[in-house]
Amino acid sequence: MIRNLNILLIFTSVLMLSGVYALKFAIENTASERTALIAQIDSQEGQLSLLKADEAVLSQPGHIEPIVRRHELALAIAPVKQEQFGAFADLPMRPAKPNSSAMDSLFESLESGIDPIDAILELEGIE
Amino acid sequence: MAVATEDFGPTISLDGGRKARGNLTQNRIRWMVLALVLGFGLVGGRLVQLGMVVPDSTIEGQARDVITATRPPILDRNGLEMAVDIRVPSLYAEPRRIIDVEEAVRELRTVLPELDEAWLRTRLSGDKGFVWVQRELSPAIQEKVMRLGIPGIDFITESKRFYPGMTEASHILGSTNIDNQGIAGIERHMDGEDVALLQELGLARGNALAPVELSVDMRVQHVMHEQLVDALTRYRAVAAAGVMVDVHTGEVIALASLPDFDPNEPASALVKDSFNRITAGIFEPGSIFKTVTMAGALDSGMVSITDQFDARFGVRFGRFTIDDFHGKHRILTLPEVYKYSSNIGTIRVMQAMGKDNYRAFLTRMGFDQRVPFELPEMRLPSVPKEFSEVGAATAAFGHGLSVSPLHMVTAYAAFVNGGNYIAPTLYRRDQAEAELLYRRVLQPQTSAYIRYLMRLNAIDSGGSGTRMNKQALGFRVGGKTGTAEKVVNGGYSSSVVTNFFGSAFPMDNPRYAMIIMVDEPEAENAQSGTTAGWNAGEVTGRIIQRVAPMLGIAPDFSEVLDQNLVPQALR
Repeated sequence: MIRNLNILLIFTSVLMLSGVYALKFAIENTASERTALIAQIDSQEGQLSLLKADEAVLSQPGHIEPIVRRHELALAIAPVKQEQFGAFADLPMRPAKPNSSAMDSLFESLESGIDPIDAILELEGIE
Repeated sequence: MAVATEDFGPTISLDGGRKARGNLTQNRIRWMVLALVLGFGLVGGRLVQLGMVVPDSTIEGQARDVITATRPPILDRNGLEMAVDIRVPSLYAEPRRIIDVEEAVRELRTVLPELDEAWLRTRLSGDKGFVWVQRELSPAIQEKVMRLGIPGIDFITESKRFYPGMTEASHILGSTNIDNQGIAGIERHMDGEDVALLQELGLARGNALAPVELSVDMRVQHVMHEQLVDALTRYRAVAAAGVMVDVHTGEVIALASLPDFDPNEPASALVKDSFNRITAGIFEPGSIFKTVTMAGALDSGMVSITDQFDARFGVRFGRFTIDDFHGKHRILTLPEVYKYSSNIGTIRVMQAMGKDNYRAFLTRMGFDQRVPFELPEMRLPSVPKEFSEVGAATAAFGHGLSVSPLHMVTAYAAFVNGGNYIAPTLYRRDQAEAELLYRRVLQPQTSAYIRYLMRLNAIDSGGSGTRMNKQALGFRVGGKTGTAEKVVNGGYSSSVVTNFFGSAFPMDNPRYAMIIMVDEPEAENAQSGTTAGWNAGEVTGRIIQRVAPMLGIAPDFSEVLDQNLVPQALR
């Protein structure tokens, strides 16, 4: 009885020993993976910070203006002048509707062979 | 049986073989237990010893975390980065782990030839745990050093401050030292506020810091900086500076002072003359101070906008006679006194108010103390505690007292915004927050008079602001020139001057106030002059012409806007 128990215990402990051993290596593996990832994140954050700084430089008005000045002639652009500003209130009202009855009479007279412009041309002396 | 009765010898005990073995085993077990106890005791003792060791993780006296700690990015009011942190590698050595110092020195110098050989040798020898070799290197150099494979030499990633705007906002931002601590400008102020505290508490790790938003608009800042640089060459001036504030909230929209420095190279900040002239420079403001005199006199009620003043003769004080620069030498109305910048007239206006009332008004406008502001570079203004008759007379037109341009812009903002003094700030502040800080210094009616006077000076023929207005037509700018003569060899010189232009726009509903200063300008060409209208005024006009649309102010040429400014009494 006690012997069987001992055998069982020995097997369990061997099993657990190997289990713990495997676990230790697995953890070491994970830890090194983690370290590698941290290093990678770190270097990527570093690169990101450089890219962000680059972007910030490129979007500075002080960086853009000289570029604009350089291409002013080629692109035909210039700083905006006060006179170029407009407002919706400055837009003219919609023009009056076309006088349809006058148009009708014009077409009718054209159809009947009388061109009103002839009279004007004759008046001006143009043939 | 008397055989063995005498003299008992020692009892001979004869143990059986089993018993003897048993004893031996017991002995062995004892020894074994002792050995085990000793062994475990040793291990335990070592554990305790290891537990007592305090690992030295400091870098030359500073915690490693502090070195790699970051600062929050600084953004302008539109979210554009003005200062960011970049990660850079820094080279360090652990001398106690270096095997061959000579070899390490030789090899390091193949990559970093600028390092001094003897210095490097003493640096690397010894038993220290950490020494810096070279800080803030490029990734390319890091790669090369790593390839050398020297034991005991390694890199640590540090945060370095970078200012993408280069010199443009240098005086606002200030700069940081190699340990990423603010040494000037808003960077230093931030450290005083909370960043240092955060870093101490260990919270400023990584990039999780909330960005700091400033009130500055980098577009406006750029234009102002560019125009001031242009002014330096155009007028061959020794210095130029400018500041623009939102008159309702006190937010500083732009602030520049030339000559300036590159915050990316903190050493350049120490160059002479590159101090912040807006906050740390005090000057005799000259005629832009007449606006203050007018505001004080009109607000006191002892002078009205319809009054007339005798400017026919100079004002005599003992041996001195104060006269006008472009003298009209006739009786002038109050708007004319302002428009023609008459010294005589302004003295009469001040005298009508009374010199003690005038002095009290200067105190009310904050001319006795520093402007409450974030930048650490500030200087006390120099205004006499009490005015003599002649002192009050010169002060009326801005001589005999020195204030900073920031004082002037704060005063101008209060004059046009309806009469509320609001301290300027570099941080975002909205209207509601600002209104809690308002301190009433003028009645709204006086503010309306000042708006009229400033606009009149820009549009009326003979006004000193007409040159400015020509550049910024349509934006309803009003302003006042100030040409302050400098003291040269103990006397005022008429050729060496400091020029100012104080302005606000748009006058029908003022939103921004600005002071431009040009120091010791020369005439642009033979046809032009050296008074403020020619340089500071034109610079103001050019700046407003470009920035007004950015600030959402559309040009409007209708004359009714100017006519509405004219006070009822003068219509």
